[in-house]
Amino acid sequence: MSNDRVGIIGIGQSAFQARRDDASYPDLVREAVVLAMNDAALEFDDIEAVVYSLSPDAMVGIGNAERLGVDAVGARNKRFLRINTGGATGISSVAAAYYHIASGACDVVLTAGADKVGECGDSQTVLNKIWDPTYERQLPLGTINMLGMSAIRYMHAYGLTEEDMALVTVKNRRQAALNPNAHLRRIVTVDDVLASRCIAWPIKLLDSCPQSSGGGAMVLASERFIKERKLEAVWITGLAHCSESYWLGDRMGKNPAADHADAFALGRSFQRAYKMAGITNPYEQVHVAELYAPFSNTEYHAIDAAGFCKPGESIGMLREGQFELGGKLPVNPSGGTLCTNAIAVTAMIRVAEIALQVWGRAGAHQAKGARVGIASGNGGDHQFFGTMVIEA
Amino acid sequence: MAYKIQPGVIGCAIRPAIAAQDRSLEEIIYDTTQQALDDAGLTIEDIDGIIVGSNDQLDGRAISVMMASGPVGGVDRDILSTPSGSEHAFILGALRVATGQFQTQLVVSWSPTEASSIGEAERLGADPYFHRALPLDELSAHALQATALEQRVPGVREVAASVLAKNRRHGALAYPDPPLHPKPGPARWPLAAGTTTSPVTGCVAMVLATADFIAERGLVDVAWIRGMGWATEPSFLGDRDLSTAPALAAAAQQAYKEAGITDPMMQLDVAEVTDATPYAELLAYEALGLCGREDWAARVGDGTFALGGRLPVNLSGGVQTFNPVFCTGLIRVAEIANQVRGHAGAHQHRNTRNGLAQAGSGFAMQYQAAIVFGREREKRA
Amino acid sequence: MELMTRQETWNITYKHALGETASWFYAQVRDNAKIFGRRCAASGRVLVPPRSFSDQTLQPTTEWVEVGPGGRIETFTIVYEEFQNLPPPPYAFGYVLLDGADTALGGYFKGVDLKDSAKAAERLKIGTRIVTKFAEKRTGDVLDFWYEIA
Repeated sequence: MSNDRVGIIGIGQSAFQARRDDASYPDLVREAVVLAMNDAALEFDDIEAVVYSLSPDAMVGIGNAERLGVDAVGARNKRFLRINTGGATGISSVAAAYYHIASGACDVVLTAGADKVGECGDSQTVLNKIWDPTYERQLPLGTINMLGMSAIRYMHAYGLTEEDMALVTVKNRRQAALNPNAHLRRIVTVDDVLASRCIAWPIKLLDSCPQSSGGGAMVLASERFIKERKLEAVWITGLAHCSESYWLGDRMGKNPAADHADAFALGRSFQRAYKMAGITNPYEQVHVAELYAPFSNTEYHAIDAAGFCKPGESIGMLREGQFELGGKLPVNPSGGTLCTNAIAVTAMIRVAEIALQVWGRAGAHQAKGARVGIASGNGGDHQFFGTMVIEA
Repeated sequence: MAYKIQPGVIGCAIRPAIAAQDRSLEEIIYDTTQQALDDAGLTIEDIDGIIVGSNDQLDGRAISVMMASGPVGGVDRDILSTPSGSEHAFILGALRVATGQFQTQLVVSWSPTEASSIGEAERLGADPYFHRALPLDELSAHALQATALEQRVPGVREVAASVLAKNRRHGALAYPDPPLHPKPGPARWPLAAGTTTSPVTGCVAMVLATADFIAERGLVDVAWIRGMGWATEPSFLGDRDLSTAPALAAAAQQAYKEAGITDPMMQLDVAEVTDATPYAELLAYEALGLCGREDWAARVGDGTFALGGRLPVNLSGGVQTFNPVFCTGLIRVAEIANQVRGHAGAHQHRNTRNGLAQAGSGFAMQYQAAIVFGREREKRA
Repeated sequence: MELMTRQETWNITYKHALGETASWFYAQVRDNAKIFGRRCAASGRVLVPPRSFSDQTLQPTTEWVEVGPGGRIETFTIVYEEFQNLPPPPYAFGYVLLDGADTALGGYFKGVDLKDSAKAAERLKIGTRIVTKFAEKRTGDVLDFWYEIA
């Protein structure tokens, strides 16, 4: 192995909750940055570049809000840019930080961000505006009903039931209860989920992610720097992004390249990341996964896309307990996006949590013996997908 | 250069002022992308990855990369978006090529004029904690910077007027038959009316590639990236000395170090700077190490930075000629790449071997980037 | 410790150029109560809603093809929750593959009793035939038409 891998040397995340009236938006960024810098045991002078993680400005209520975050991330006179790929922003930011290092341009890069979705007033109103004004803005599209429509097609194609959806929530809440940083940590039963109020059929309140506030930050470094400073690290061995057509209606109808039931481009993204990491049999070679799934039904097509099984088989396998902590391949041991969703950083937290897992630092929600993990992020109208393989 | 692989620019499409109203924004982006691919002699199948730079508030779309992903070939491809600045899209694209994990990158940026008030859209960039109630849009920020300079540099207003005239002359030569005639910008003390130019719709796309790809395809007319630097000022205008540009100085230092530039006036043939106002251009001369403020009057007076001078700056006419607000930075980069490639058309500078592009954006140029291009590929051991 | 908040609203109006393709589509909706798609020459697929190029092939589309008014439901959802600046619930909408099209077009489903979600879901299930209805007074907008069970 050559001396040019990219490693993760520091991680920081807030204890997410609905509102943070005690902190301004830059304060939340700073909170996570301080945690990550302490974790990496570095000074701000060691940081050569910053990649800022921020999805729609409208969510935070400040145009180009990253400009306000410059001081929070200590970027004065330093290399600084911002990424926005919608919900995938966090993982795209880690990827961008990776490229700063893998290109040879930098040795140490910080990526950070925060969100205050709970303060937004109504995130679905903002998220309606992601659709184009030409043909679709007039429809009451939002991310909840868009993914409700995906559930309909998954039900039609693979026999998914509302109870199958509820099982995902039950599993993830049980795991979130063990994660002090998760937002929703209350254990629920299948009956609780089925009885919760319907938002956009078949998605009910307890099938849905919360609106969370908090920050996330990670420090990446070159292998050279890590060895020189004798630091501990875990390694990014594979990464990729892939996208689908923006047009929801193109993911249905006659012979679509990608069906809205599935997560085709997520699958393509994982294939590319696996190739880079030398993973040929994900089900056997991957030990733990944090898959971006803001609604219970979407965890299934994410598991399919991760190559753990054929499309639709994930339903049966989840029922068997394969994807819970203690099972063969824990998925979302942190509770996942379903239990915490501070949009600008949610996909970064997926990476952070996997890094903690393969590092053996995940505490009560540790997947035993995990050394190879995967993370994913979804953005846009289920359009942009980032994936990463992290190894000890 | 520190990078694993030296990226080269192999295609550009610059559309700094689009007058026609018959194409939607997505179609404009599509047209420009096709133009850049044609210029590079490639099709979309040759593209490994894409970076776009756009502003949600200007576009009127909460995640502007979504609808725009289609026209730039994003389907089944690796596409990222840098809303912080159009020049950042170029930088990230170049970094990706430099890793060796991507053979090519397409970089696209655009700036529409569909918002009822661009100033209003810009004002939303002021923080709601202390500054939102103020009329702080980019024009105000430029005005504050001009004020700061006038207090420090006696006579700078006259020098700025000469710089403005120079760029207008260059613009008239570069575009003898312009697609449209932008309205002069309004007065905002101390900026007189016409010290800035009103926003227009624009779009720009560039194609980058690795040396291997370029050799394999037998591509000529390449602008090799010799050095890149980028940096940011702090968040609050009040925390800055607006009569200086330390972030640009930092960015220039990074770029020059990578490029081995120790005497920019000697080693560079042509430059493009983001002259949102002529004061910004003067500050750029200083921060880029071209000319300190004590010499501004003299060097501007003797035509050093004009056509025919030692180091012509803004032969394209700069932002003073056309101001597609969000993508002006990437246009500067594309202009210099084209100069080095010998593709700058009517405003081609002869014998251009090395050029410098400076991109500034945000309130009073909060973000700064400097890119050095060269005609010669670096020899690697 | 007194914690304060500030209220801010974003208020910008946009005038988006629709381009020739979308403009022609809406003129047909408004003037003739007809829906058209565009065929991508490279793939032969009829894309609805129409665009001047295919994002899959990046080739221009070449001809107009009338589609509908019949079609089949490809997916749907029924919204029961109230969201700011979105219609009062309950309402159903989704995507329909109009006869002659290869891709599906979004629109509201009207005339279905939505009180019982399971029954409504059965009524709207994938594959259900629908017919496109047009408003009396049309302005050239997606809301000029909707779908009803055939």
